[in-house]
Amino acid sequence: MNIIVCVKQVVDTEAEKRLDPTSWRLDRTVPNILNPYDEYAVEEALKLKEQHGGQVTVLCMGPEGAADDVRKALAMGADDAVLISDAALAGSDVMGTAYALAEALKTMSYDLIIFGNRSTDGETGCVPAAVAELLGRPFLSTLSKMESDGTTLKVHRETDLGYVAYDCPLPAVVSVAKGINEPRYPTMKGILGAKKKPLEVKDVAALGLDISKIGLGGAKTKVLSARTAPPRTAGTKIEDDGSSAQKIADFLAAEKLL
Amino acid sequence: MSDKKGILVVAEVGQDRLANVTLESITRARELAPEMGGPVSAVIIGSGVAALGAQAAAYGAERVYLVDDPQVATFQSGLFTDAAVAAIKAADPALVLFSTSADGRDVAAACAARLGTGLLVDITGLELRDGNLVATHPCFGGSLIAEKQASGDLVMATVRPSSFARSEAPVTAETVPLSVDFSPTSLLAKVTDVVCENLGLISLEEATIIVSGGRGVGGPEGFKVIEELAEVLGAAVGASRAAVDAGWKHHQYQVGQTGKTVSPQLYIACGISGSIQHRAGMQTSRYIVAINKDPDAPIFQFADFGVVGDLFEVVPRLTEEIRRRKTGA
Repeated sequence: MNIIVCVKQVVDTEAEKRLDPTSWRLDRTVPNILNPYDEYAVEEALKLKEQHGGQVTVLCMGPEGAADDVRKALAMGADDAVLISDAALAGSDVMGTAYALAEALKTMSYDLIIFGNRSTDGETGCVPAAVAELLGRPFLSTLSKMESDGTTLKVHRETDLGYVAYDCPLPAVVSVAKGINEPRYPTMKGILGAKKKPLEVKDVAALGLDISKIGLGGAKTKVLSARTAPPRTAGTKIEDDGSSAQKIADFLAAEKLL
Repeated sequence: MSDKKGILVVAEVGQDRLANVTLESITRARELAPEMGGPVSAVIIGSGVAALGAQAAAYGAERVYLVDDPQVATFQSGLFTDAAVAAIKAADPALVLFSTSADGRDVAAACAARLGTGLLVDITGLELRDGNLVATHPCFGGSLIAEKQASGDLVMATVRPSSFARSEAPVTAETVPLSVDFSPTSLLAKVTDVVCENLGLISLEEATIIVSGGRGVGGPEGFKVIEELAEVLGAAVGASRAAVDAGWKHHQYQVGQTGKTVSPQLYIACGISGSIQHRAGMQTSRYIVAINKDPDAPIFQFADFGVVGDLFEVVPRLTEEIRRRKTGA
């Protein structure tokens, strides 16, 4: 069973994120990590490989430095990786990103493509569905459980009320939710081995991408301006002296919240 | 010039009613319609959903497309995408509004990919400026507010719940039943079971009030006081990453960067320190009330009303106080 896991490098969730004030692009000079949701995707792929054999390939689109975080997925146990990296891709929006990933995926062989539900920086959660559509494959998102016999998937998709179970033949595209598994930590052996695993960098020319569909210029959505949200300021702060519940209730009543 | 006109809202169906975010989107569409030209329409996808058309009309949808089909009784992204695309082709609108939800994101992204349009994700504001649609989108957990625009004569957007006010403005709607030829690919995934474990649960995204617990709650049984306060307020229950990672609450309750982003009228944080990643999920709340033992907890730097105290004393007293005021005792 050949599985491709699509991953993204994101700004560390504990770091303050900034936009470059001229290009409105995310300042990526701050500490970066592998998107936390993608660790669940990698883990799920590795579990299926352990059952069925085959190959787990990591696919990432990002700056060259993203290779550092792709190596984390290799250290967890993925076999090889492809990094789509090109200055012309910078500033791609959701649809530009989905197009580039889909074009790369069309050149690869797979039974299953797994995404993390969303990224913790762009937070659109829309790339997986768009990629599935561009590939013409069935799509199931937000999975809290996944099993496969090698030809079919049996999955649970989380809902607010519980879950919906689906059966779906492979090949398919899925995205997994936080909590579907407990991602393994890379072992020292894994970390050392990851450095020797194949990581191929492909640029726009190698993939034959249409420049009019990618990058800042090809984006169908544009940022006109961005401003720092007016900072929330501290309001009333009291020490509990036994009357604080009444005072909270008074505050809520005054703001017409009761 | 394009002859695409009007706004189509792709409805989200909740428990036997249209979700609030759908009614909010119809309300905003109605306000924008005179300047944009063309009607406000809605498409409702499901099985036995014809009666919901009246709810869309009550908020001002002049035309209601109905995809009423047993095959779409339960959400399935391929089939719902086929249905939404059929409605988009029938309505030929200039703008399509979805909801920012798991279902809404799946369908919006697939529709945009299929029709080759731009997609504005998770918008909280929408206005016309010199005839152009400008959307507001809070990024990075609301620390930055971006204004965005999409090119092309058809624009799609997903709308964050609680971003727009909703108000009724009844019209007599024209109902248009649509029969959809589902594509072979869309028919591949089959629903085998629907499990509802949390009937009656108030979803975090739709809640007007949220009461959340964090590390200070101390354990799963500590959430009892949180749940009691939530019940008396008619609020949803949330949890911080610390509480979820400790296994005290399922991650679907998690508010924050790796959980849900919420914008309720009132957010009551109990035993939550207010880390950057938690703040990212709740700082667009209208009012924030914090109860925490630690006087130096970062949450007090942005709470509208903060109490330094033991949540196990303050929260039960608050529950009693609110119950007393609500029952007029």
